[in-house]
Amino acid sequence: MQDRSAKTKEGVHARAPSIDRGPRLSNRARERIAGYLFVAPDAIGLMIFVGGPMILSLSLGFFSVSGFGEYTFVGLDNYRRMAGDPLFWGSLQVTILYVVALVPLLYVVGLGLALLVQANSKFNTVLRTLLFMPQTVSLVVVGLVWQVLLIDKIGLFNQLGSAFGFGSISWLGDPRFALATVIAISVWFLMGFYMLIFLGGLQDIPREYYEAARIDGAGPIQSFFKITLPLLSPTSFFVLLVSTVTAVCGSQTFDLIYIMTKGGPANSTSLAIFYIYQQAFLFNEYGYAAAMASVLVIILMAITVLMFLLTRGGRFTYG
Amino acid sequence: MVEGSNTFATRRNVRRGPNRREVLATGVAAAAFTGFPYVSRGYAAQTLKFWQFYAPGGGVPSQEKWYEDVVKDWNNSHDVKVELVYVPNNAYMDGTKLPTAFASGAGPDLFIISPGDFLRYYNGGVLLDLTPFMEQSARDDFLPNVIANRMVGGKIYGLPYEVEPMAMYYSVDAFKEAGLTDNDIPKTWEELLSVAKKLTNSKRFGVLFETNPGYYQNFTWYPFLWEAGGDFQTKEGKSAFNTPATVSALKFWQDAINTGVAPRKPLGGGAWDTVPNLGSGYCAMQNVGIWAIAQLREGAPNFKYGVFKLPTPPGGKYITIGGGWAFVANRKGWNPKAAGEFIAWSLGSPKDGSVGRIVDWCTKAKSDMPPTKSALDAGKAAFESGFLKIFTNDIYPGARAEPRMPPPVYKAISDAIQACQLNGQNPAQAAKAASDQIDAFLSGYKGAPIL
Repeated sequence: MQDRSAKTKEGVHARAPSIDRGPRLSNRARERIAGYLFVAPDAIGLMIFVGGPMILSLSLGFFSVSGFGEYTFVGLDNYRRMAGDPLFWGSLQVTILYVVALVPLLYVVGLGLALLVQANSKFNTVLRTLLFMPQTVSLVVVGLVWQVLLIDKIGLFNQLGSAFGFGSISWLGDPRFALATVIAISVWFLMGFYMLIFLGGLQDIPREYYEAARIDGAGPIQSFFKITLPLLSPTSFFVLLVSTVTAVCGSQTFDLIYIMTKGGPANSTSLAIFYIYQQAFLFNEYGYAAAMASVLVIILMAITVLMFLLTRGGRFTYG
Repeated sequence: MVEGSNTFATRRNVRRGPNRREVLATGVAAAAFTGFPYVSRGYAAQTLKFWQFYAPGGGVPSQEKWYEDVVKDWNNSHDVKVELVYVPNNAYMDGTKLPTAFASGAGPDLFIISPGDFLRYYNGGVLLDLTPFMEQSARDDFLPNVIANRMVGGKIYGLPYEVEPMAMYYSVDAFKEAGLTDNDIPKTWEELLSVAKKLTNSKRFGVLFETNPGYYQNFTWYPFLWEAGGDFQTKEGKSAFNTPATVSALKFWQDAINTGVAPRKPLGGGAWDTVPNLGSGYCAMQNVGIWAIAQLREGAPNFKYGVFKLPTPPGGKYITIGGGWAFVANRKGWNPKAAGEFIAWSLGSPKDGSVGRIVDWCTKAKSDMPPTKSALDAGKAAFESGFLKIFTNDIYPGARAEPRMPPPVYKAISDAIQACQLNGQNPAQAAKAASDQIDAFLSGYKGAPIL
């Protein structure tokens, strides 16, 4: 460290004379500026790479776009077409089913696993790693491996089923089972991530609360409902919000559908995000796809706002 | 003294190390010498970019080599060079790579398309007319039913280098195991389902048709529609889909699933993939194209199999479908003239060796039928031997060109196939629903003729 101070004639250390740079900013103002500067790269990136395309996509919904550089303004035509498109409504229905099943399942499984492995031990460390491992595998590989495991008649699951006297089930080829199978695989793939989020939340809860509850005679179930769950509220809010967004338009969701079912059999796994993809990239209906994407974003924003209002931004109230 | 030494040391350090400006200048210079050629590569555009999916290290090395050889020969004799750009198969077929490139005005100079995608790119105005680059004799050399779906208004917009007729393949061992002989090879739809039933056991399906939704599934179903006497469109441009022929073709595939002789999901990439399906014993018969000869030759060389032509419905006439890819050029590319010359030189100019290239592709790199009369003659020895002989004499003569249709028509048909095959929908209802959708679309359609 270089000594920046200088000795005066009196032998007292004093600060080197500073250059006059005008009126000094208060500490608070400097902190605020520093804060903005720290946030700026992310904010600018979001504005350019997310906000900009969103506005463009919203605008594109009012055009007929050939995909080869021709844009024709069509007003609300794309939205009228959407209202009369049974495949769009069908895909929305599939999306709702997917969200309604996936989000609670991810919440319960994620939290359950976090509770299971929260204690610090070598065994739990290994278990956490194993549970998180699916996240580290490419979704293409995940999709292909599950396809083989679930294949009709000779797949591992059907072999196990036949050993117990069950007939062969086409897990991904029968419209009665395909969506449920995709949901199960999605839970398997995503549960490790949500487990980690919940683990973070659990570790923030002071141990003293549990000790006090135990002294007062509370059992594990009471402690869970009276301490753990209420204090996990912000984490729960985050998990519910992120898993909803993931289920509606996450890349993981899209990739699994694309690899394993291509929206089939008979459109039974054709989620809205997949139908939008088909319209844009297979049918060159970019304007129509953009209009559908806009509706999807509006629905997601409405859900988010509703969740914020109901929970005051994750601050749940009890009693 | 101490302070003086420190000051001296600090100054000395400043003098010895580069200052900020020098570091920046060095960085810019380094970027210019190293990174900039890559960054600016797209703008430099000194070569014609040829997008396709036969990448080095792919499934069949001989196919990748054929592409490399074609480009190498061209580059050795021409000033404007061609560069192969490999796009993964998934990103090419039904993927985003080509559409997004064209949407952003950065489409490739050269690429390959199947008839199923022709109208999309033709109606988008990006396909180059190749007619001026070819001599009349070369144009006439292409078989009329093969080149027809790459033509609009008498002009050629794509040159095919293969024709891929669909057929049925069967496992010789599975037939033997079920006590079947060559005499049991099915000739009718009914016989096919009956033989498939005999071949089905606890670990194997009797027959495999495509079940994954997409262009390929439609492609494989069309010949059954045609065999039953059905079609998509009347001469007046209305839907011809709502007919008993459509219903019987939809029901045929539905019966195969409902009777349990066909799986709902294929293994591997899909029902076009023979090694993981027929080759692995997952099914005993498979509906697949001529390319399976090369697939099995490379992927399962010891597998014993046979080939027979598509069976027919009662009173129906044998028809198969001939798909295949074609070279096309981007009219809005960097150098459309050179791109057109390259395609004509590669595949439509006998004096420049195009006949040999097509023969090599169809007999060595792949196992296909040629799209030109000259290649059929030149490769006669190969086309008259082995499994290709069955295609040449029995299967190919009944081939009808793969239809080209706009995406909404394809989607309506795809939904009808899926609903009947896998969701138990009444085929008559599905045919009517699809027909109504096709009619609604055709009433406002203004693009090139649907064939």
